[in-house]
Amino acid sequence: MFDFSDINIPIAVFLIVYGAYMLFYVLYALFNVYHLIRYGVYGFGMYLIVTLFAGGTILLVAGSTFLLMEYDWTYPISLDKTVNYYNEDLFPSL
Amino acid sequence: MMNLHQLPNQRLNEKVVLFLRRQWFAILTIITAFSILTGIPLLGGWYFWDTIQTWLDHPVIGPFLVILGSIYFLSIWLFAFLEFTDYYLDTWIITNERIISIEQNGLFNRTASELDLSSVQDTTAEIRGILQTVFTYGNVFVQTAGEKSRFHFKNIDNPEEVKQLINRLVQEKRARKLTS
Repeated sequence: MFDFSDINIPIAVFLIVYGAYMLFYVLYALFNVYHLIRYGVYGFGMYLIVTLFAGGTILLVAGSTFLLMEYDWTYPISLDKTVNYYNEDLFPSL
Repeated sequence: MMNLHQLPNQRLNEKVVLFLRRQWFAILTIITAFSILTGIPLLGGWYFWDTIQTWLDHPVIGPFLVILGSIYFLSIWLFAFLEFTDYYLDTWIITNERIISIEQNGLFNRTASELDLSSVQDTTAEIRGILQTVFTYGNVFVQTAGEKSRFHFKNIDNPEEVKQLINRLVQEKRARKLTS
């Protein structure tokens, strides 16, 4: 028989959301860079700002990836346990 | 890409006299907003580090928090870049023949217009408020003949000087027209 508490979703589902956001980010950023190159005034400043933006993005994504690699993405989110996180665990100062 | 030495529809003997963008104060606003939006969560994270550390060690909340943080900081970075693009693409070019105005509103609205100096009727320089007075920036309005809308140079540096320059160029253009 169907038991609600048996449903386990791996935390990898977070990565789907993150991937969708990254797709939006890349598309929007590329469109913006295209605008700058297509309509901007030729000069060193424009290349500097595009390089700075790309560098910042690479740093942020690399930092996030480095932190995310430490987690076990097969770990299940059990609907049965979602309400069983104790305040003392999450808020040690309480 | 636009080249100042090769303007679109460049006329014979046309030279760029002044190239304008909004004053550096516009950049300062973007930098301030960026610093506040990144600084406050970082300071909060540093102050409540023990609690944050516990959350990060959690097998479910940890990755959720990292992804949320990553999305937040990437969004601010992208927002700052979009705002800079808006600033960078708003330009006004004054040549000895005409005035070219290019305005970018967001990513999907762009207005490019030009007017011949001989059709300029009057120019107005406007400095309003404490900030504009202290940092000498403001607006210049160029009124043309007929019912056309005014050209608006927004938040540019030294609006008085720009106004005087436009008036001088208009007179020179009219004098050239008369002699020819």
